[in-house]
Amino acid sequence: MIPRVSYSMGEKGLHRASPEANLLLLLGFLTAVLATPGVMVKLGTLALVFILAALSGERLRAFLRSTRFVLIFAAFLFVAQVISIREGETLFSIGLTITDQGLLFGAQMALRFLVILSSSMLFVMVTDPDRFAHSLIRLGIPYRYGFILVLALRFLPFFRQELKTVREAQQVRGVSPSIRNFSGLRKAIHYTFLPVLVSGLTRVDSIAISMKGRCFGLHPRRTTSQESHWGRMDWIVVGLFLLLIVITIVARRYTWP
Amino acid sequence: MIAIEELCIQYPDRSYPAIDCLTETIEGGEVIVLTGPSGCGKSTLCRALAGFIPEMIPAKVSGEITVDGESVWTADPARIATRLGLIQQDPDAQICTLNVWQEVAFGPENLCLPPDEVAARVEQCLAFVGITHLAERTTTTLSGGEKQRLAIASILAMAPETILLDEPTANLDPEGAQAVFNLLRELRDQEGRTLIVVEHRLAPLLPLSPRVLVMNKGGIVTRRATRQHEDLVALGLRANWLRADWDLDLPAPGKRGEIAPLRVEDLTFGYDGTPLLDRLSITVEPGEILGIIGPNGGGKTTLLRLIAGLEKPIAGRIVRNRESVLGYLFQHPHQQIFERTVRGEFAIEGVISDESLRRSLDAANLSGLGSVAPLSLSLGEQRRLTLATTLVRDPDLLLLDEPFIGQDRANVAWIIAKILAARAKGAVTLLVSHDIPLVNSLCDRLLYLGAESIIGDPRTVSARLQTMGKDAFTSGYWEGETR
Repeated sequence: MIPRVSYSMGEKGLHRASPEANLLLLLGFLTAVLATPGVMVKLGTLALVFILAALSGERLRAFLRSTRFVLIFAAFLFVAQVISIREGETLFSIGLTITDQGLLFGAQMALRFLVILSSSMLFVMVTDPDRFAHSLIRLGIPYRYGFILVLALRFLPFFRQELKTVREAQQVRGVSPSIRNFSGLRKAIHYTFLPVLVSGLTRVDSIAISMKGRCFGLHPRRTTSQESHWGRMDWIVVGLFLLLIVITIVARRYTWP
Repeated sequence: MIAIEELCIQYPDRSYPAIDCLTETIEGGEVIVLTGPSGCGKSTLCRALAGFIPEMIPAKVSGEITVDGESVWTADPARIATRLGLIQQDPDAQICTLNVWQEVAFGPENLCLPPDEVAARVEQCLAFVGITHLAERTTTTLSGGEKQRLAIASILAMAPETILLDEPTANLDPEGAQAVFNLLRELRDQEGRTLIVVEHRLAPLLPLSPRVLVMNKGGIVTRRATRQHEDLVALGLRANWLRADWDLDLPAPGKRGEIAPLRVEDLTFGYDGTPLLDRLSITVEPGEILGIIGPNGGGKTTLLRLIAGLEKPIAGRIVRNRESVLGYLFQHPHQQIFERTVRGEFAIEGVISDESLRRSLDAANLSGLGSVAPLSLSLGEQRRLTLATTLVRDPDLLLLDEPFIGQDRANVAWIIAKILAARAKGAVTLLVSHDIPLVNSLCDRLLYLGAESIIGDPRTVSARLQTMGKDAFTSGYWEGETR
């Protein structure tokens, strides 16, 4: 169930923008879905996320596959809201009462969730974590915190691979417990999450040791040898950010549906 | 200068010390080869010298270690690292970034060097280890050999006076190992660095005129400055750690019930459109031991995974008896460990009584470790544990991926005995290993997986590899190691 998200090298679209610009765009997406009423802006923002993903070389099918878990959870959120909200005009009743307010809130909630997750995933896919860390340091964030983020991004694909390997090891040793009863479920958790967790913690320890062994933390500051060049794509991304902010202000002012 | 005085280190879950009252002095510019049997404390000593114990790896310590007069107990490991760089056994565990250039720059950037100086050091070190062409590559796409060179370049870029290398060739194919030995020679000749190398293969290090420190049970039992190989071989064999020529007398393969041969027919497989195995066909008879050799990334592990059913072939098929009991030893043993104690690992396989557990542990040279957390064992011990639990099932198809890494002579002998016992019962064994002399002695046939596949008896395959210029994959190339 770990979403298949990790940075992939590329030359198209948002890959060419600097991490600062991509972060700004992410903030734009978040502002647009969190600060606007109705579903129109949220739908438009979601469409923009998918268009930018396609323009950045993330094939739509692969991107959809990556967001499959998010889509399923968003659908669950929608259904939960629709059947639990009783306010508003009743549209129809089939044992459960479905109201217009329920549909609206459900759609809003699901869209918010979808945009937040899919835009964050797009950001991770197109932003080189190392360059991002350097950008954060340039922006004045202490470098220790910048690198915590880099490590967090590095660990997503690691955990995914480790989970796959643990399942293979279970298959080979014939210890794949059935989860039909409580004892099987407990065993499954024990045989799956414990090795992944231990392996992850061991890897964290190894990298921490390796970083110390490379003088990390020796000085209060560190050299940032990567220059950041503000290019045409950065200006385009800033333009998109401003557009999202203007749309948010207008949508709030005129209460767009 | 490094001074170690009455050093004692004991890990929290062990009843005996990993380092036991060790005293030694290492002068600047010396080349030290640290060797000895598995679990004798070599890696612990390296970690202590680098200042990681007890600061980052908890352990009870006493005694003193000073690097150029400064105690490692009180100094920040990051400060020690300016003078002493440790290249660990597993290169994967020490890569901190996602890009080769940035990885080498990571250390100099932490030293606050000016950007121009960082760039100059990166270029120089990449060139020195011969991976300038990989500068823009993502670190996750590198082969094991490339990662090891990257790890060396990353430490060199910080220009420490002393470089510690913990089994730098353990995961490398024979050609990769030779390249690392050549690098060490250049480091000594051109840079005059102090080198401390943990290594089992001694012959390639002899031209460096090393001082050999033989460790056993946490202490140094022999100190010898030598260029005489015979001298070292005698020493190693006496101390029961050096791998010797295995002049094995293979017993006749046994037959067991209805075990059918393993048949691989026109097998084709690749990752992301890159072909790895191309229409490979082999048949392995019951009781046969097939050795699989070849360069890192040549498809050896992939073939085992395909046979185990963990990958699906693009074309072709694998025919094996559906009833056959599979025993598969992964290359990284920690991935096959599920329980919190060694005893628990055996319990999964149905070994519950104290007596049978004790027998299994004694046989695998893991005596007294029943209540220890398996992941706290050394890599060599973990490998023996996973092999011992695998063998409890009495498999008739045995897939072994690098079982000899981190094992000394006595433990290799135990693994060989187990493989031969499986052969005598008629089991099919596929053995992946970079230990070329050993696979030549132990296996009925060899399969070389590289740019092309070669299969045949060891003599024929070696002759063919020699004509292809792949000398490092022939046992004759490593003869100096044991004679």
